[in-house]
Amino acid sequence: MDEKIKGLEARRKKVVDGGGAKRVAAQHEKGKMTARERIEALLDPSSFTELDTFVEHRCTDLGMVEIKAPGEGVVTGYGTVNGRLVYVFAQDFTVIGGSLGEAHAKKICKAMDMAVKVGAPVIGINDSGGARIQEGVDALCGYGDIFYRNVASSGVVPQISVIMGPCAGGAVYSPALTDFVFMVEKTANMFITGPQVIKAVTGEDVSGEDLGGALVHAATSGVAHFTYPDEASTIAGIKKLLSFLPQNNVEDPPLAATKDAPTRRDEELKNVIPDSANKPYDVREVIKRVFDAGDFLEVQPLYAMNIVTCFARLGGRSVGIVANQPKIMAGVLDINASDKASRFIRFCDAFNIPLVTLTDTAGYLPGVGQEHGGVIRHGAKLLYAYSEATVPKITVIMRKAYGGAYIAMCSRHLGADQVFAWPSAEIAVMGPDGAANIIFKKEIEESTDPLATRKEKIAEYKENFANPYKAAIRGYVDDVIDPADTRTRLVGALAMLLGKRVQGPVRKHGNIPV
Amino acid sequence: MKRYRISVNGQSYDVAVEEMAAAGAAPVPAPNPVTIAAAPGAPSAQAAPAAPAGSVGAAVAGALTIKAPMPGTVLSFRVAAGQAVVRGDVLLLLEAMKMENEIVAPHNGTVASLRVASGAAVNTGDALVDLV
Repeated sequence: MDEKIKGLEARRKKVVDGGGAKRVAAQHEKGKMTARERIEALLDPSSFTELDTFVEHRCTDLGMVEIKAPGEGVVTGYGTVNGRLVYVFAQDFTVIGGSLGEAHAKKICKAMDMAVKVGAPVIGINDSGGARIQEGVDALCGYGDIFYRNVASSGVVPQISVIMGPCAGGAVYSPALTDFVFMVEKTANMFITGPQVIKAVTGEDVSGEDLGGALVHAATSGVAHFTYPDEASTIAGIKKLLSFLPQNNVEDPPLAATKDAPTRRDEELKNVIPDSANKPYDVREVIKRVFDAGDFLEVQPLYAMNIVTCFARLGGRSVGIVANQPKIMAGVLDINASDKASRFIRFCDAFNIPLVTLTDTAGYLPGVGQEHGGVIRHGAKLLYAYSEATVPKITVIMRKAYGGAYIAMCSRHLGADQVFAWPSAEIAVMGPDGAANIIFKKEIEESTDPLATRKEKIAEYKENFANPYKAAIRGYVDDVIDPADTRTRLVGALAMLLGKRVQGPVRKHGNIPV
Repeated sequence: MKRYRISVNGQSYDVAVEEMAAAGAAPVPAPNPVTIAAAPGAPSAQAAPAAPAGSVGAAVAGALTIKAPMPGTVLSFRVAAGQAVVRGDVLLLLEAMKMENEIVAPHNGTVASLRVASGAAVNTGDALVDLV
């Protein structure tokens, strides 16, 4: 028996050693950890249990009989993060480039299936050269099987993709189907076709970093939700994100202890918003002052910065915040902002995270580019996502809420459960300038001094309509509140809404205008 | 010198356009009006590119060009060519959507060139400032 146990240990060691010392050293030289080191860093100490350690490929084509791939280029299993179960898989670049073949994919699929069965988040660490070409269509089958599971698990357990190396071709679509994509600056790349193919086909000269590096996907394409300078900070980011999320769709998010009193008033909030309606400010200042201990985690902080999406807590409970950002592009709603916010809203709704909306927007961005880019179609997603969401929805209208943008930013009409407005709110069908030009067109034209009359009429409209009270009179706004009380009122409303139940009509699924 | 009246978003501007004899001649500013650098569709569009360096800076090779994120009017520059800036410094105010939007430096550097004149109407993607 001892011999047999020794034999087991030897076999296990072979797999744990991965691609061998030389390749591990090369990995370290690039500032990258190995697959096992990453799992180790992510999970609580000695909580990792590996699955499928001894799985091997069965490919005999193209010399694969001779090629041994310890662990098949991926480490899979489960463990805990801050005591909570997660499933994890990490591709091992030291084993034939972490390439994905049939057995590699099967290991991943098993982990995903188990995660859904027990209701635990899946964290996938990607570092792979792509498909194992020798395995032919079996490799394609592998990708397809993973995609299918990504979709089947969507909205059941949180899925997090972490890109810590190359991720090219079909491989990018698994991360794209998951809820959040983390990328490490400088070492992570994502693209469908790489620089060489692009050079050959279109003649464009572009580096891997400029084509699909972390910053490109964070700021330009919107593919990445979080980017960090190195692997250690990326892993810390994953843990922080997990702290806001429930384990699955039938659980509530964890309740965190907070020393921040629900009754804390903030007299400074009223000074955050400039007196003049055309002056910008940073909405994150409002978020810091209202939510627990000023702590929040921004999702896609560099993409469509005219809208802020973030996780925070109110009285210890996780909430998802959607806030217009007046500091960037006047906080307008445009194609990218609509896409960013709708996806965030749908995630929160799927995982029982209440939504808090902070409204102050100049409206929809005018322009040929926007119209031809399909702002109608994309903007509609925001209406869809808010209307569809059945989690508690609370809205605070801080300043400008005009026309379509007022409706879109989780108004009462899209099913907001509680709508508060600050006295500075301007809720009307359109801005004073435009409204005065139309309503008082005749008076202005016939006036002896059209400019003065116009100015007068704008002021008149502003006085009578650009305030929260017309909406409050109709009950579209539940209450007009002192900004200092925002925290207290939000905590109270959230507590009141915890029992919210909504039963929609039976249907297969809606048809969001994607 | 030809004079045009241009209406942008309901606001009318008086613009004087002069045909230049040779490059390097100083532009003659109109008495009071706003200089429109490149308002597409406006009659001044053809004349604007002829403006020599000095009033509107030329593109600087190798520089990062800060572009207009949306259509609007350049209210004022907060920096001058040659000035060093740090990330987050306000370069100019762009009035758009009835808001005075601060356009900030994305990273530390030196202002190489102001690509439009103060008061210019710009469209999405128009060059505003070159930063090196």
